[in-house]
Amino acid sequence: MAYSVLIVDDSAVMRTFIRRVMTLSGFEVGECLEASDGEEALARLRLHPQIDVILTDINMPKMNGEQLLEQLRSDGMLGATKGRILRMISLGADGYITKPFSPEALREELERILGERNAGAA
Amino acid sequence: MPEQLEQSASGEISRILDEAIAEVLATMFFADLEPAPCTHSPLEHSWMSSAVSARVRFEGTHFGEAVLTISRPAAEEIASAFLGLDKEETSETDCAQVVLELANILCGSVLSRLWPESKLTLSAPVSDAMERGLEGPGHRCFQMPEGNLAWRLSVEGANR
Repeated sequence: MAYSVLIVDDSAVMRTFIRRVMTLSGFEVGECLEASDGEEALARLRLHPQIDVILTDINMPKMNGEQLLEQLRSDGMLGATKGRILRMISLGADGYITKPFSPEALREELERILGERNAGAA
Repeated sequence: MPEQLEQSASGEISRILDEAIAEVLATMFFADLEPAPCTHSPLEHSWMSSAVSARVRFEGTHFGEAVLTISRPAAEEIASAFLGLDKEETSETDCAQVVLELANILCGSVLSRLWPESKLTLSAPVSDAMERGLEGPGHRCFQMPEGNLAWRLSVEGANR
């Protein structure tokens, strides 16, 4: 199954890296969108509510990762999109991973989270 | 008097820093390096004249800065590996941006090892003049297959 992904990071090279290692690690990526901060991520999500996974950095300008999560919850967008947030450092997110991380570690964390989601939906 | 952390002052700190940079380079930048003992002033390193550099400031329970400098051939190798591009496809802007990201990750990794319970905020990394910030005895040098890397962590003080 291919998952649609939104990568949120203010570093363009980090977004490229994450997109690449997801593919390298064997994680099946369908549609892959990018945003450089939380505000841009919200705009993307309003246009693409089908996103399965959101990977967001914490420290970003305009709207950081924590504020993005809070906004998604207050807007009810998490339930509407069936989205799952993987934050690098989490306060209540479904998972987190800290830098530096290997392609394998990223894949394992994504599979764990999506496995739990799929089990919960069954 | 501000607390000064000079990497050469403690073997344990040097070991932590060496382990951190080796892990960061190997895990996300697919590169290997070895410590290269160095007693020179940064100004004596001829490779720094064309190096790519970045500076990150941190503040919170401790405050200070980290400065990273990489010779251009090594920076090009790191950038191409990180982005999955051929070297010929990797631009100077790519190199600069990847070195900024490396400095950011490296600084965060080292600080979390030195003070795991601390609350620190990193500034956005900035490109910097090659030798500025590396002055003094604390910089550490590393040898990579494609070139050189040097960096220095300076702790200017602590908020108790």
